[in-house]
Amino acid sequence: VAVQYPDFLKPDFSTQGRQVLLLCAALLVACASTPAPAPPPRLQVLASEAENDAMRHYARGDYAAALRGFTLALRLQQSLDNSIEVARHQLNLAQCELALGKTQAALQRASLVTEPKFLTESRLLQAQANLSLGLVKPARPLLSQLNADCETDCTYRGTLHLLQARAALLEQQAAEAVSYSEKALNVLIEKHEDHETANAWRLMAAAQLALSDPTKAMDAAQAALSIDRKLGLPEKIARDWLLIGDIQRNGNAVQAKESYRRALAVAQAASLTEVIKIATQAMKENTP
Amino acid sequence: VSILIEQDTDAAALRRGTRQFLLAGALVATLIVAAILVRQGLFRQTASLGFITDTAQDISKGQSVKIAGFRVGSVEAVNLRPDGKVEVALEVDASYMRFVTRDAVIELRKEGLIGSAMLEIIPGADKTRLAADEAVLTFSRSEGLSALANNLRDKITPILADIKTITGTLADPRLGLSSTLAKAHDATDSLNALLVTGNQQARDVGGGATRVLAKANTDLGQVGHTLETVNNALPVILDKAQRIMVHVESITADAESSVPPALRDGGALATDVREIVSGAKTAWPIRGLVAVPVGRKLVTDSDPRAEGGRAVP
Repeated sequence: VAVQYPDFLKPDFSTQGRQVLLLCAALLVACASTPAPAPPPRLQVLASEAENDAMRHYARGDYAAALRGFTLALRLQQSLDNSIEVARHQLNLAQCELALGKTQAALQRASLVTEPKFLTESRLLQAQANLSLGLVKPARPLLSQLNADCETDCTYRGTLHLLQARAALLEQQAAEAVSYSEKALNVLIEKHEDHETANAWRLMAAAQLALSDPTKAMDAAQAALSIDRKLGLPEKIARDWLLIGDIQRNGNAVQAKESYRRALAVAQAASLTEVIKIATQAMKENTP
Repeated sequence: VSILIEQDTDAAALRRGTRQFLLAGALVATLIVAAILVRQGLFRQTASLGFITDTAQDISKGQSVKIAGFRVGSVEAVNLRPDGKVEVALEVDASYMRFVTRDAVIELRKEGLIGSAMLEIIPGADKTRLAADEAVLTFSRSEGLSALANNLRDKITPILADIKTITGTLADPRLGLSSTLAKAHDATDSLNALLVTGNQQARDVGGGATRVLAKANTDLGQVGHTLETVNNALPVILDKAQRIMVHVESITADAESSVPPALRDGGALATDVREIVSGAKTAWPIRGLVAVPVGRKLVTDSDPRAEGGRAVP
């Protein structure tokens, strides 16, 4: 009895089909020719899984969970005597601590990293931590060193300009801060680094406010707010509203109060204790 | 003749005895006089000291001069000078001059609160420089009973003035005690009125509470009725729940035997898949197409808490 196959099941040994079959056969032979690799050590697998979890938590903004994950990964890598991975996790932990506001701990941890491969990242984090603590003096030599290392092609130029702008702002050199913010924006917008771009706009707004140019300051602050909303970062959104309130404060106290109220609402919804305090204080001080 | 010679011998012996007795008596008398003179200080070496004062009150010749409570001399002379000041000379045993420094002070004190007056030499701080003979020292008078009385009077006088002011204020009809008592009386009256009002309100609240309790009693009756209904329906519901639980138990028992192998199979399958994928990744030519994993990096964020924005004061 002759079997009647549907058209799409009918064997088609055209030239093209033969080529595909030959390629598949070649692939199978190639795979079979290589012996199966030895499975990675159990602790290595656990460390990778812990790191993956921590990365996911960090990306979601759950920095406390990310800190726990990186701590476990660090311990596992220390038990494997893997100095490169240990240094990398120390830097990841420092970054989590900075995000959690544990700035002093982050500074201490970042300064422990002396692995040449991660020296630049370590210096960047140390400079960032010092600036978060309002300490420009110890940040200056780090920024100079980073700048010297960045003469040729470097991947952290945008971040470096941001830190330089922040240092200038802390030293009340607003014009210099504007200049660095502009440089940073030129680099960051091209590289599509949204977090840093928003930071650059925020610094630009603060610097323009210091230069008594509320129009430019407001444009920059709105740009920062727009990006931070897109990224879904409540603390940054709340602080952007605080900054907008500061810009409006001299010209329109009613609008400024409304901006502070928005900042307070965001902070309360996200349980940001520190920002709640700042916003409440700002509202009290700005009572028209 | 022999009798006469014998009488002359006896007379000579008597004269000699008398002479010896008189000599011994004179010697004893001399010794006594000498002892008295020594006792009186005739042969003692003394030094002179002096001081000038405005008045000779309580100072007299022969008055004791003491150092640290020991008598060391006396007042030799008290003279009024042409300028009206009084010059007092002291005679002090020279052996005690080692305690008298140049900055020493002679103080007139009373022995006890009302005892006789005497002069006390109080040595100064600089023990290396001793006063010379006939040195003139500083004089002071310690506070006597009258000075203490004056001091006490000075302290009591303002207190008495304050008491007078306070009593005057208390006696003031507008601000004093009588006015305060009157106000307290008024306040008591107000408090009484308040208590009366409070009592009235408490009675009103009590009435309200009684009504609420009566309403609550009615409501509780209704709740009791509802509970009775529930009580009747409950056995049926419980029976149904029991049957459902039995059913769930049977399902769980089935799952207990069937699920673990399935999970084990799933786990084994996942392991196989992972091994196949891992093997394929490392096999030629796919390993050339798969990017070698590099050190993963967190998102760069130089200001994760957006603190930089409000750094400007």
